[in-house]
Amino acid sequence: MIQSILQYLHSDVTPGEAGSLFWVVVYVLLVFAGISVGVIFMNWFERKIMAHMQVRLGPMRVGPHGLLQPLADALKLIIKEDLMPANADKIVFWFAPVCVVMTAFCGFIVVPFGPTHAITDMNIGVLFMLGVSSLGVLGVIMAGWASNSHYPLMGSLRSGAQMVSYEIAMSMTVVSAVMMTSMATGTGTLSMIGIVQAQLHQHMWFAFSFFPVGITALGVFSIAMVAETNRAPFDLPEAESELVAGFLTEYSGFRWSLFFLAEYASMIAVSSIATTLWLGGWLRPFPNLLGGKTWDTAFSLVPGLTFIALAALCIFYFTRMPRIRAMRAEATGLAAFGGVLGLIGIVMLLPGVRVRIQDIYWFTLKAGFFMYLYIWYRTTFPRYRFDQLMKIGWKVLLPISIGVVVMTAVVGMRQELLALVWR
Amino acid sequence: MSDHNQFYDAPLEEVEPGHTFLDSNELILNMGPQHPSTHGVLRVILKLDGEKVNDLECVVGYLHRGIEKVAEHRTWAQFGPFVDRLDYTAAVSNSLGYCLAVEKLLGVEVPKRAQYLRVILTELCRLASHQVWLGTHVLDIGAVTPLFYAFRDREDILNVFEKYCGARLTTHAFRIGGCRWDAYAGFAAEVLHICDDLGPKIDEYKDLITGNRIWLQRTKNVGYISAEDCIAYSITGPVLRGSGVEWDLRKKQPYSSYEDFDFDIPTGTAGDTFDRYVVRVEEMHQSIRIIRQATEGLMEGPITAKVPKVIKPPAGEVYVSIEAPKGELGFFLVSDGSAMPYRLRVRPPSFINLQALAKMARGSLVADVVAIIGTLDIVLGEVDR
Amino acid sequence: MKITEMLRRFLLIDLLEGMWVTFRHQRPSDLVTEQYPLKRPDISDRFRGQPRLVKDENGKTLCTACGACALACPEKLIKVGSLRDPETKKKVLTEFDFDLGRCMFCGLCEEACPSNALNLSSGYELALYSREGMELGRDQLEKGIQGKVFEK
Repeated sequence: MIQSILQYLHSDVTPGEAGSLFWVVVYVLLVFAGISVGVIFMNWFERKIMAHMQVRLGPMRVGPHGLLQPLADALKLIIKEDLMPANADKIVFWFAPVCVVMTAFCGFIVVPFGPTHAITDMNIGVLFMLGVSSLGVLGVIMAGWASNSHYPLMGSLRSGAQMVSYEIAMSMTVVSAVMMTSMATGTGTLSMIGIVQAQLHQHMWFAFSFFPVGITALGVFSIAMVAETNRAPFDLPEAESELVAGFLTEYSGFRWSLFFLAEYASMIAVSSIATTLWLGGWLRPFPNLLGGKTWDTAFSLVPGLTFIALAALCIFYFTRMPRIRAMRAEATGLAAFGGVLGLIGIVMLLPGVRVRIQDIYWFTLKAGFFMYLYIWYRTTFPRYRFDQLMKIGWKVLLPISIGVVVMTAVVGMRQELLALVWR
Repeated sequence: MSDHNQFYDAPLEEVEPGHTFLDSNELILNMGPQHPSTHGVLRVILKLDGEKVNDLECVVGYLHRGIEKVAEHRTWAQFGPFVDRLDYTAAVSNSLGYCLAVEKLLGVEVPKRAQYLRVILTELCRLASHQVWLGTHVLDIGAVTPLFYAFRDREDILNVFEKYCGARLTTHAFRIGGCRWDAYAGFAAEVLHICDDLGPKIDEYKDLITGNRIWLQRTKNVGYISAEDCIAYSITGPVLRGSGVEWDLRKKQPYSSYEDFDFDIPTGTAGDTFDRYVVRVEEMHQSIRIIRQATEGLMEGPITAKVPKVIKPPAGEVYVSIEAPKGELGFFLVSDGSAMPYRLRVRPPSFINLQALAKMARGSLVADVVAIIGTLDIVLGEVDR
Repeated sequence: MKITEMLRRFLLIDLLEGMWVTFRHQRPSDLVTEQYPLKRPDISDRFRGQPRLVKDENGKTLCTACGACALACPEKLIKVGSLRDPETKKKVLTEFDFDLGRCMFCGLCEEACPSNALNLSSGYELALYSREGMELGRDQLEKGIQGKVFEK
């Protein structure tokens, strides 16, 4: 058995394909832990970035610069009382958050963080992810129904309708991206790893290929994904000032935190789809144009240097902390955090590590860019009214996405079309 | 205590046993007194057909403190602090209205310097009140940042108030007969600094909000009220001006030296939420103009007229109204010659403007009701007193 | 003109302008939060805060027990107790009760005082855990409410 476990390390496929159960379990745990850490970090990141955009500081008290705030929030939610409304449907009420969390996390089975760093590589990878995220709608509607009260019901029905309508536009743009994978070789693929390799092969991220088709597809997808995950400016079902909290009204404590976890996990999931399909997944910038060993080495130093830069920032803020006795614990904490980051950075500069780490790093950076966009949208825009929201989904995004599919097809068949025209 | 309103008096036989609320066409939704966007404790009972509002009823009184009754048991000077608590976002304005009313009853002429000081502080207060309105209105519609920008800009104004009279919100700035304090050292410089700073910051809102297509879609053609309806409902203030009626008491019935200053009255045309928004933002610019002129023209002189220690106006009644940030704020005072008012009645602009809510909201969607409440700019302290 | 208008709409220029406004506010010098216990705000001279009875250089109170503040207060929360000194025939202050729980910090008492004895000072940290400490006696008004200073 140890033999088979070690044998995997020499293969160059994902654990699912290699059939190694042990490594599949290891990868599942890693991805699960990684996404959870991502959600926690996202919580802190969102509060700080939103606060800075609103000319205020954000959490500063819990831990140095609020770094322990997400842990405090998580602890608070866990120890909070879990209420269930008296006339609620108990089984459905219990199951709804479970359903949403499961579907949000299931999508990560196919997300590739590197050429072999995925749990498995289904050859219908993208379709699988879209299908699984559609199942999340069920959970939302169950939540609203089981709460047995006006506000959550209205909120959940609206939310469900919104998610369904924007999925169509999303799927159309995904079709366009899949079609682009067949541009060079004549055969396309739905597999996530295959899509990134097609981009590598075609020397161009799909976002920039056949300008403006690729960028329009990415634009439509990034608007639709915001609506899919019920975030501003499409967050009417969750709007505090309209219906208190929509379908989440009756949920408190740990169950609410499950919905929150699922929302952020699905945000990360759709960002991963966008990254894989249009921004080249795990590829570093200019893998072909600036190819060769020196450029490879140069780019592989970037992850380590990023962490060292973050560590320097921590130390800089440490020097600016007031030197009074009450702040001693926080200052030490910040210095220690900076030290840990620096250590990680140095480890990442080692040749053995940096070759493996850089795929994950670039992927996370690109997905992180989309998460920053999410926060930026939330800070800037007012929210759409529900009828306007549906109008945009059906009457604006859907025609544009169909147009993108048609344009992709025209571009893909350009030689045949030209031959037809010039006959 | 029963709720005497038309919806709850409907006979119960209409809802048959075995049928839930989903079977009937109409849903009665209570936007209760505790709600993040009713700007205080306002209760709105909506009769909905799906998402569309068929009818609307406001239940007020959750903040009633009996201020008008309290006035009958305080002396004229002692009532000054209570007036701040009416429209608590614009306390200086209320103080001005009350003091003008009592001064008219007494027949006292306030010296010019005091009038100019009053104008500067009242216009600063108008800016502060409009900042609160802007921040909360935009927050209700969903954008979370302009609230913080508005309150950051408001901090400078509140700092001026604190340095002038000692308090930021419940200022008790003016006394009967003039002002109690003279301008502090550096007052003119700080006020002019605010004028210079605030203009570009208000223009920043244009990039963030006014041109934004989401904002335009949420506010254009929402909450329409025609000019005739406004006059019929006695609506005043930016709501009236947004519908196209050019009526501003500072120009039409000038008080406290407003006739010395040169400013425009912004007027809208469409009578919808967007026009009222534009009117109020433009009013902020005009306020900055007035403040600049008043500060540069501030002359020397006494800051208060000679007023007896115990104020006993002759018996009589008077109604004096000013252009408060929310509309026409009026004070009707009846004196019987004693040291306490016989009757004090406040004409609250928010309360009277709130009548228009039903008219504006009929036929619109639930999400618009929140926008319309915001655009009416009501403060429950004034609505309920 | 129409082309630019259409381009503006299609390329979402107005939304991008809004996003630029929020983005540039992230400059650290723009952030205005005051970290409260570490940095206390500047209070102006005329601030109407905690009431104090002022004593002169010799430690003798300036209050002449005239009761003007009690008359001026809209809430009638000041009680001035006095004795008439047999020698100087002047009133001498014995007790001074101030109910801080009902005070609205309007400043009418401060205005009414003819000897500048009652002063609304710059203390604003007046919170207590129960209502009992809200009725201030003469001692507390002269010494001022001592806030609890936390020094870990």
